[in-house]
Amino acid sequence: MAGKRVMKTIRAAACAVAAFTLTAAAMSPCMVYADVPYDTYSYNYWGDDVLQPHAYLYTETLTSASFGTALTYPEDLFIHEDLLYVADTGNSRILKMDSEGTISMEITFARDESDLLNGPKGVYVTEEGHIYVADSGNERIVEFDEDGEFLREIKRPETDLITESQKFVPTKVVVDNAGRIYAICYGINMGLVEFDRHGEFQGFMGATEVSVSPFEYMWKNYFSTEAQQERMETIVPTEYSNIFVDQENFIYATINNLASEDYASGADTIRRLNPTGTDVLRRLGNYPINGDLYSADEDAKWSSFCDVASTEYGCYFILDSAGGKIFAYDYDGNSLFIFGQNGSREGNTQKPVSLGLSGDESQIYVLDNLQGSILKFEITAYGQHVLDALALNNIGDSEGSYAEWQEVLKQNANNELAYVGIGKIALAEGEYKEAMNCFELGNSKKYYNKAFYYYRKELMESGFGKLMAAVGGVVLLVLVIRWAKKLKRWAGEVRCTMSRH
Amino acid sequence: MYYVKTLTYVFHVIFHPFDGFWDLKKEKRGSLAAAFTFVFLTIATLTIEKQNTGFLFNPNRLQDLNVVVDIVTVLLLYVLWVVANWCLTSLMDGEGTMKDIAMATGYAIFPVILIRLPMVLMSHAITMDEGSFYHVFMAVSYIWAGFLLFCSTMITHQYSIGKTLVTIVLTIVGMAIIMFIGLLFFSVIQQMLGFGTTIYTELRFR
Repeated sequence: MAGKRVMKTIRAAACAVAAFTLTAAAMSPCMVYADVPYDTYSYNYWGDDVLQPHAYLYTETLTSASFGTALTYPEDLFIHEDLLYVADTGNSRILKMDSEGTISMEITFARDESDLLNGPKGVYVTEEGHIYVADSGNERIVEFDEDGEFLREIKRPETDLITESQKFVPTKVVVDNAGRIYAICYGINMGLVEFDRHGEFQGFMGATEVSVSPFEYMWKNYFSTEAQQERMETIVPTEYSNIFVDQENFIYATINNLASEDYASGADTIRRLNPTGTDVLRRLGNYPINGDLYSADEDAKWSSFCDVASTEYGCYFILDSAGGKIFAYDYDGNSLFIFGQNGSREGNTQKPVSLGLSGDESQIYVLDNLQGSILKFEITAYGQHVLDALALNNIGDSEGSYAEWQEVLKQNANNELAYVGIGKIALAEGEYKEAMNCFELGNSKKYYNKAFYYYRKELMESGFGKLMAAVGGVVLLVLVIRWAKKLKRWAGEVRCTMSRH
Repeated sequence: MYYVKTLTYVFHVIFHPFDGFWDLKKEKRGSLAAAFTFVFLTIATLTIEKQNTGFLFNPNRLQDLNVVVDIVTVLLLYVLWVVANWCLTSLMDGEGTMKDIAMATGYAIFPVILIRLPMVLMSHAITMDEGSFYHVFMAVSYIWAGFLLFCSTMITHQYSIGKTLVTIVLTIVGMAIIMFIGLLFFSVIQQMLGFGTTIYTELRFR
């Protein structure tokens, strides 16, 4: 085990050198970074963490110096038209700033000065610029217009579905294109609370399923003593930790308070809910979308997803608060790259809570709850090629996608996804042999099978069939001759016995 | 020439096991050399299979391939089986000598070679949809070999079916016990060596 670790480290170190030289070469001379405070890697088919060239590089941190005021335990970050909206929870206000941290608007109250916000934990901005705030301390959701003027508030819904003793504390809020409002509420584990466009309570949506193993059920109900039962956790569905509305109006929802054995068994930690609340996330990658497959760090054994943001062609970035990592996945759930780290170096996070993507995906902003700062990461040429290849593939531009994947491979010959991407294009063009080759390098048995099927068909049609027929004919001939000989011998024997009589 | 004859005799054994194993022992139609050849070929089959099976049917990672592991696996299982079986049957009125057991076992595992080696070639010519053929053949190779092993035990020792089954189960238990004792021994020796070296270093630095 130790030997394997050492080998891995050596391999990793070799890759890191290669990766560093590559990224250094890809950057323009004016942007020279002495050292990147994290590794960028992804998991290959065999589950090894393979280092990659950096896809995003840390550039700068927006701190109180840039804001002109200090953030106190901010909880949420939202990006709309490249402007940042921050829920500064500790100071009970919503801030709007540009990408350099210059504050252009501050919302501290709803109707008037006497109606202050109280510890808002979530902020969302609609297409037309209306700001929705999950005003957690005041148990309401507030809508402001683009200038920060109060429009309406949504209070605790009149319903029996939420018990009397249960408080209504919205922590995160999103609004879809149809104006439906979804909120995560603290302590409500029946799913997202859904309101229609007029703020009328509609019900719950996308409740997480509870699964109890037969063994657990029997143990809890029949075999444990009362004292044991008291000490046991009650089995309840888990709450979502954060939500995000994507381009197709589907809701990405993250889950982070699972038990260790649930993580180990590959339970869902992220979902993509369609409007009926069904999970439609594609999980076609080699491994469950759970973040790190293994971790040497005992304190951060499993990734803890606290926020997610998606691109318009279905790639998504998940923020992990336990390790301070950002996991990028493509539409099918393949791991693209993983970067970022919790730590004390510049460019490390301490307690990341929220992330945001700029419109063109060139910038990633990470909000740090402890430091009250926003870290900025900028895409590298390598990262751009990967995302472009996926984007072009998404719109059906296979030639463009092919070229981008080639660029990716130039910088990282270990990228299995690039081989599969190229292979798919080759397959579509009828280059079956090349496709097979690519799929083997990309370790995709599913597509190799497809390419091989056509390759074999082609081979059969182009004369291989005739060859086989000839071989079969010869075999048949030999068999017939032998059988004829046998028949002759048998006939001779029969004649002998006949003549004897 | 005798060696070659004993080698080719295996085709008679695997298709006519009752006859075959009897003659193997009583008529001296088999040889220990041939049995060892089959054991060696099994090792080779295992390695070739891991290395050369087509991409679609090969779950092994080429970087992790280790011939030593294959050799040890097959040899260990073979030797353990023979030794445990011999130990037991000498107590249970078995008629076979250790040589008989070693020989019969070597012949009994031949279907593994016979089926799995061609399947390596086959795996390059079939798609995943036709994979059930592949998997059936792979299973057959083991079932056939297992059946032959059963026959070999029964005939070599002149047992009834029930007694053979009991013997086989006990043999497997015996193999586990031998392994356990071996590991125990290994660990004790390790401790003793460690103790010795500690004393040596202690004395040297004094």
